[in-house]
Amino acid sequence: MPVSRLLYPLYQLGNPQLRIFRPNWFLTLVRPGTEQPPDTVQFRIPMEMTKCDIKNYLENIYNVPVGAVRTRIQMGSNKKRNHRNQKIKQPDYKVAYVQLAQGQTFNFPDIFPEKDKTPEEGSMEDMEQKFMEDERQRQKLDPRRGGVTEWFGL
Amino acid sequence: MAASSSAGRILTLCKQFQNVFRISSAINTHYCTASLTKYQPRERPPLAALSLCSPVSAVSQCRALHTTVSRRGLDQFFDHPENWGETNVKSGAPWTAKQLRTKSNEDLHKLWYVLLKEKNMLLTLEQEAKRQRLQMPSPERLKKVSRSMVRVETVVKERETALRLLQTGQEKGRPGAWRRNMFGYAYWYRYKEYAIPWYMNKRYKRKRFFTPKFVQPHIRLRLEKHLREKARSATLQRGTRSKLKEKFPQMKVSAS
Repeated sequence: MPVSRLLYPLYQLGNPQLRIFRPNWFLTLVRPGTEQPPDTVQFRIPMEMTKCDIKNYLENIYNVPVGAVRTRIQMGSNKKRNHRNQKIKQPDYKVAYVQLAQGQTFNFPDIFPEKDKTPEEGSMEDMEQKFMEDERQRQKLDPRRGGVTEWFGL
Repeated sequence: MAASSSAGRILTLCKQFQNVFRISSAINTHYCTASLTKYQPRERPPLAALSLCSPVSAVSQCRALHTTVSRRGLDQFFDHPENWGETNVKSGAPWTAKQLRTKSNEDLHKLWYVLLKEKNMLLTLEQEAKRQRLQMPSPERLKKVSRSMVRVETVVKERETALRLLQTGQEKGRPGAWRRNMFGYAYWYRYKEYAIPWYMNKRYKRKRFFTPKFVQPHIRLRLEKHLREKARSATLQRGTRSKLKEKFPQMKVSAS
């Protein structure tokens, strides 16, 4: 957390609304685990964020029309054990399901598409690959020996 | 008659349109020059999606020049589509405090939001990579962004402190005082707002900012303990050194 804790003035009835100038809340858009309706987006949000905060955040920073927000808290798993066999708790996080307004839909794009990984002709990687293949060919045993080890025989 | 009047109307319309066009084009060029002079191509922002060029104050009503393709909505949570599936993505250096000190406060706040969006994008990418059990492309970007954010924060804090010193003479944003607790320790008490005045506030009155008389001997004992420990360690060190000196007379005495 880069920002030091802010101390807001004590709110009393009639005071002006509190403003945040440099919000230090970070959202993570995640692919929903279970199938969601097409207008629902799933986020992982910091614990202290509320539904109203989410709505304001998305509408003012990202300019996304928000219809409804539902949140829940996901307990982190407590199953993992370390080398001393002590239980390791994964941190909890809050999950927000945001329904977009104005008939907008969202589906999570495939951000790791398959790309062909053939290196360029004459490049360092290409030469390395060729060399490695050659070496592997050399390391192979003689097929005429029929799998008999090298040290056996004359 | 009718045909000629309609033709005249069209002509006047064309003229008006031309005038409007000329004016708008002139304004556009003016904005471009204003923003281009401000933009420094040498200092590449940490990540590509940055259009931090503020025009002069007269033009501040209008939006600054956008150098990147405008993307909107939830697409900003993802990288540019041409970077999808790449093993490493190029990025510049993080912003240094020195560079940020030359920027105006407004620019710093704009930059904060740019960095915030960038960090959200990177966190989304990281999580998706984790989910698919792949390596995240260029994970060092996260550190760069967070460092830039820390620096923006420090620069803004510096300015706030300077302003506060000028206006009120207060060195700290949150005032406080040195107080003693009931064990005789002195600590920096930071003032806090209370809804109820202190003389009526039970919670405040429960706190004890004084040292009772009967604690004095204990403070004395604590001091003695501390001094004794210090003396003991000093003697121990001296003893070991002298023994070593006896064994190895040629040895040089270390500084510590």
